[in-house]
Amino acid sequence: MADPVSIAMGQGSSCWGCFQSLVDIHLNLATVLPALEIKYWQAVADFKLHHLESYEDKSIVVGLYEGMARTEEDIHLLKLMREKCQVLIAFGSCSCFGGIPGLANFSDIEECYDVKFRENFTVSGGKVPSENLPGIAPVVKPNNSYVDIDIYLPGCPPTSKLILTAVSKLLAGEPIELPPHTVCHYCDREKKETPIEKVLRPYQGIADPDRCLLEQGYICVGSSTWGLCEGQCVNKGATCRGCFGPPPPIMQDHGANSMAMLGTYAPLPPEEIKEQVKDPLGTFYRFDYPTSYLGKIRIKREEVKKT
Amino acid sequence: MTEGKTIRIDPVTRLEGHGSLTLKLGKDGKVKDVQFNVNSTRFFEKFLEGRPMEEAPRIAPRICGICPIPHHLASVKAVEAAWDVTPTPTAVKLRRLMIEAKQFSSHVIHFYALAAPDFVYGPFANPADRNVAAVLRDLPDVAVQAIKMMEFGQELIKTVGAKAIHPTTAIPGGMLTSMKEEDRDFFLGRLEEIQQLTLNTVDLAKKVVTDYLDVITKVAVTPTYYIGLSNKGTLDIYDGTVRVQEPGGEIVADFEPKDYRKYYGEHVAKHSYATHMYYKPAGYPEGIWRANTLARCNVNERMATPLADAALKEMRELVGRPSHHTFAYHYARIVETVQAFEWIAKLLNDPDICDTDVKVSDVEPKAGNGVGIVEAPRGILMHNYVSDDKGMLTKANLVVATNNNIAGIEKSLMVAAKQIFEDKAHEGLTLPEPMVKR
Repeated sequence: MADPVSIAMGQGSSCWGCFQSLVDIHLNLATVLPALEIKYWQAVADFKLHHLESYEDKSIVVGLYEGMARTEEDIHLLKLMREKCQVLIAFGSCSCFGGIPGLANFSDIEECYDVKFRENFTVSGGKVPSENLPGIAPVVKPNNSYVDIDIYLPGCPPTSKLILTAVSKLLAGEPIELPPHTVCHYCDREKKETPIEKVLRPYQGIADPDRCLLEQGYICVGSSTWGLCEGQCVNKGATCRGCFGPPPPIMQDHGANSMAMLGTYAPLPPEEIKEQVKDPLGTFYRFDYPTSYLGKIRIKREEVKKT
Repeated sequence: MTEGKTIRIDPVTRLEGHGSLTLKLGKDGKVKDVQFNVNSTRFFEKFLEGRPMEEAPRIAPRICGICPIPHHLASVKAVEAAWDVTPTPTAVKLRRLMIEAKQFSSHVIHFYALAAPDFVYGPFANPADRNVAAVLRDLPDVAVQAIKMMEFGQELIKTVGAKAIHPTTAIPGGMLTSMKEEDRDFFLGRLEEIQQLTLNTVDLAKKVVTDYLDVITKVAVTPTYYIGLSNKGTLDIYDGTVRVQEPGGEIVADFEPKDYRKYYGEHVAKHSYATHMYYKPAGYPEGIWRANTLARCNVNERMATPLADAALKEMRELVGRPSHHTFAYHYARIVETVQAFEWIAKLLNDPDICDTDVKVSDVEPKAGNGVGIVEAPRGILMHNYVSDDKGMLTKANLVVATNNNIAGIEKSLMVAAKQIFEDKAHEGLTLPEPMVKR
């Protein structure tokens, strides 16, 4: 067997779902894990931050960074991973685009602190904790604004199949080539090119299991979303919310594309669309607000405040 | 020791969240302070505001990638409570199947991947060895057993929930998809082997308990309150009332989820982004409670299924009820793993599990305030949402499993730190030879 390939797995502010998806390659772990020399993976191995800090620069072949970087510690770890690893992978949609936690950018950080620490149904009069804790940045900025990313592996989480493909290619030293199709390519439902007459909310009525959900009026952003998921939600009756982000080029504006897509399917007067689509920002930008055009303006606004 | 000293453990490893430890020792060598610093937060309560409330079950799972199913379900239950919606009976069975499958795979990953390296290599092994990759190398049969069990649970969730991680099929009024007979039959065909692996795990756990009895009964034994869901005294992770038990063992509260605010106290500590939960009538810190496996076993009289109930009785012979033995959480985890397996078997054998009547069609949003409570693997989980008359979410309050444990963890760390730094009690412990020596 070839020598194990050194790997570091870092975790920013995240849910650990991407790593759970890695673990879910199941019996393939028996071939993959022995091929890896784990240099850092806080949830699995007992290496501390000072171990990672002590390694030579670029001495680790592959680094996977899960999550977005909002705390000072997250940002430190992200930069450290960049220094120590030859190839840095943005692992999952939070790491690629900011992900669902990027929705926090809809609010000012003080408003976030209010409901979390100061006043809510069970909390009252709390102060923002600060002792032995890293500071929190006022907004979620995309990881690629802090460091250069070599490979984007999106998904919330990336499927186990996708992770296995990517890791196997990396171990073999081969390029990762992924199909560029959108979710619709993998959806079993029939499209009849019929325009939407009314936008429905997902709990309304009982959907026809054989027809395109969007054409039935349920907002589904499958046609503007990278189909690396292979249509797992749409084929089980759930509309796509765009968790894999846009198809390549990966930094295109997914939210804007999704809205344009809805416009072509629902030729309704703008006032009606506005009335029927309850939460455009939270629907079309759910996983990638920080890397979108609108989201960048939001981040800019915060930077202007500082000066 | 001539002057005080601060010890930092950063990060705390083999846990899937974010934390570090700060221990302060005085000049006299006494432990002055122990802090469990949870060092990240993402503000879900804020950005759930303004979303259509039916979207909350699709957003909230991202709080936790290990326990997204409990979040998905606590969330959908909160929406249904606010809108007065009752899901169909088959939908409830499918949801339960999903949460039991999660309990099963999560408990297995915790026991084998997070905890077992300590038992296999001993607590003083080299970090390069003390992890699951090394277990796979040195004890492949044990590792394969664990992987097969995790696979069973995760693939079952995927079948019902569309995705094993961050499922998408629960919707106010029911489920978006029914279970196909061929899928049911596939998992039925797996039951025999998985039952055997589950029982093997019980045997392994009993060996570990016997080997480490000195550690379990002496280290970090910490009396606290306990909180857990209960179905009239039977341990239940999907539905029931909430029970609180005081350290002496008496059940001091047993309430409907909607009344939680009378009993839940939330303390903002100066050194942790995760807040500390406690039993409000007792105040803080006296009322600090713990959740999770042992808490559920403490607050309930019995398990719901026969093999698990027998295992619980055996556990109680050793640690009693309530058990304050922090290391008995591992034992309780195995007892619960058995119950999760038995529930899965029962549901897969239910003649109605493949019924297609999985969703009601007349769900209407309205102004309301709803609470949804389920048990996540790490403890009781509460989502509380308020909606306006259009069904838009205007306020959210979340108390996740971990918050119910942070203060208790800190308390048991203080006990352990005193034992180690003041009494050197660890030196007198009887430890077995590691299963694998390197």
